[in-house]
Amino acid sequence: MATSLKQSATLVIDDFQSMRSMLMSFLKAMGVTGIDNVGTAKEALALLAAKKYDLVICDYNLGHGQNGQQILEEAKFRNYIGYSTIWVMVTAEKTMDMFMGAAETKPDDYLLKPITESLLEARLNKLIEKKQVLEPIEKAVKSKDYLKAIALCDEQLKVHSASTQDLLRIKSDLLLTTGDFPAANAFFESLLKARSTPWAKTGLGKVLFMTKEYTKAKEVFEEVLEENKMYLEAADWLAKTLDALGDFGQAQHVLSKAMALSPNAAGRQKSLADAAYKNGELDLAQTSYEKAIKLGEHSIHKSASTYSGLAKVLTAKDDPSEALRVLDSSRSEFKDDPDAALQTAVIEGLAFQKLGQPEKAAAALATAEALMREQPGGVSAETSMDMANALFKLGQKEKASALLENVVKNNHENAHIIHQVEAVFEDAGMGGEGDELIKKSTAEVVGINNQGVMLANEGKFEEGIKLMRQAVKSLPNNDLMIANLCGMMIGLMGRQGKDDRMIFEAKELLDRVRRINPNNKKYNAYMNLLSKLASGQG
Amino acid sequence: MEQDEINFSDFIASSTHDMKNSLNIQIGFLEELMAVCRDKIDASMLDRLGHSIYEANRMNMNLIQILSLYKLGKSIYPMDISEQSVNQMLEEVVMQNQSIMGYKGITVTTECEDSCYWYFDRDLVSGILVNALNNAYNYTTDKIHVLSRVRDGMLEIRVEDNGKGYPQHMLKSNVTDNRGVSFATGSTGLGFYFSSLVAGMHKNAGKQGRLIIENGGAYGGGCFVVTLP
Repeated sequence: MATSLKQSATLVIDDFQSMRSMLMSFLKAMGVTGIDNVGTAKEALALLAAKKYDLVICDYNLGHGQNGQQILEEAKFRNYIGYSTIWVMVTAEKTMDMFMGAAETKPDDYLLKPITESLLEARLNKLIEKKQVLEPIEKAVKSKDYLKAIALCDEQLKVHSASTQDLLRIKSDLLLTTGDFPAANAFFESLLKARSTPWAKTGLGKVLFMTKEYTKAKEVFEEVLEENKMYLEAADWLAKTLDALGDFGQAQHVLSKAMALSPNAAGRQKSLADAAYKNGELDLAQTSYEKAIKLGEHSIHKSASTYSGLAKVLTAKDDPSEALRVLDSSRSEFKDDPDAALQTAVIEGLAFQKLGQPEKAAAALATAEALMREQPGGVSAETSMDMANALFKLGQKEKASALLENVVKNNHENAHIIHQVEAVFEDAGMGGEGDELIKKSTAEVVGINNQGVMLANEGKFEEGIKLMRQAVKSLPNNDLMIANLCGMMIGLMGRQGKDDRMIFEAKELLDRVRRINPNNKKYNAYMNLLSKLASGQG
Repeated sequence: MEQDEINFSDFIASSTHDMKNSLNIQIGFLEELMAVCRDKIDASMLDRLGHSIYEANRMNMNLIQILSLYKLGKSIYPMDISEQSVNQMLEEVVMQNQSIMGYKGITVTTECEDSCYWYFDRDLVSGILVNALNNAYNYTTDKIHVLSRVRDGMLEIRVEDNGKGYPQHMLKSNVTDNRGVSFATGSTGLGFYFSSLVAGMHKNAGKQGRLIIENGGAYGGGCFVVTLP
């Protein structure tokens, strides 16, 4: 990280030559010597990939292709820039997507045109100062030492400064990340007592959502939108909440309204498409997926699941040949993505079946099976269920049931997914068998888990760890099981002293737990214990 | 947008937007020209160039205010009321207007605690201040004082000048009624309207921001006072 403006390796991105030369002459006058400049997003990303920049000054509107926000998102996503890079967006007018969303994809600051040299210099110097304050915290976050990061925030928050607002945001993100919901709740409540802001209120809503208090969460998000209808992050969360409450129609309505206010959000457009599909509104689902594909073209939101979603809708609308065309283009767009290949193959099976070509359908599903074997840990429940659905239609009942059994075992405590599995069985006219299988598989998982807990209670940690490691290998997505494995490792180290390799393994397991289920209650407690063990206080 | 939803104000907004973009390019070119010419042309030419940049910036400010008003009216302005350093904002606004103030021989001073932080939309409140400075620029003799402090749980920002002050009829009436649209004097009333509307959109715990004008202050001239909850 550059400690002064003069030493900053700087990149200027603007599609107008005159703006570029003006910004560069400003920077030169400030004593900055290492300046690169480009006119397109493509060139910008190529340079960002190749060289480490301390400072990026980027125009928001770059004509065709990606806009400034999308470059920033992609650069962060691909790790071209780290926390120490200062990103300043230059814009003719304010847009909401610069303020919203996760702290890590927001620019550090924005400047409204026209820009003067003195203003630019003052802002840049302030930003460098700020970065220096935040540096140790962001280092701690990067090394996943969240408790230390929170402690550092608290230390800095003792004095009110220009960084206070950033510190509050970082701290609240950390409380949510580590799943410390009681603390997050108290934190947002105390902020709201001093002043009601859409940000803090939305934060409180998130806590309520994560602790499954959906009705209260709904009220909070609705209040935010009533006071500030452009705060669309609250709309996204409201839709999620309504979805969790089973009010799919209302969820779709909220997303539709948000899209009307901000028509270029690819991620939200995809959510709208998903919601419409769920509601059986196939025409709207189709146009929404098509729009989402178009909007996502230049952004990190471009995803194969949008293509397969569209193909699913087309198949349901009795247009399997068009579905196959969409899947073809998905295959060429996501060449080296095994997950995309899998999704494509699965929906292809459904489409060929509909087309009355069972041999080709069987071949597609065989490809899908082979791909699944290559990524045993990474197949989502949704893809597995689509696959089972297709297999049932081809009459391959055993394979379908085996897949669903696996889904149940990996998600035995997730009522939402279990419900969907039931529906797949029912569609296949196998409701009774389905219930039987769900019961049996759940009992099996619970049995192993209980056995492990018993061993732990008897102090036989090593035996318990062996058992759970075996179980986790075949059930890589069962967060309860993984968390219990961690618990046993912690128990063992509590008795025998710390083991750095085991601490590392346990932290990785906990990361997996959080990815699978951000609401896992044991995550935070175990993370705390591991940090204490690591620092020798265990 | 559906065809039947378009009305006259949408046209004004989209054209304003377009004008603002052209103007920004123009300002960019003028600034560039200024940088290149600074040492090559005589003082009066430089003056005229400086003046055209000032006029262009004034136009830009008006266009931004019109667009903001349009968006605020439709509740589609991305309001971002968050904590800001008051001093930093004051200094930035004064800095942006420094060259033109110097051009007319006006001294601008600021007074604000470094530790003063408050909640507001940075761009909108900066817009109010730029507007206040522009006003003061027209009416002051040679001094403008910008000060800010917290009083009775409200942030008060004052722009005071050493001119003759506001005329009695303006002081008597409510400032929001002072639209005073007059093609003869060139007073559009836009600035006052914008400022009091934006101040009023800042609300907290049952209190609301407002704009008042008075005479007095440090120099006994006009005072433009914004309070924010």
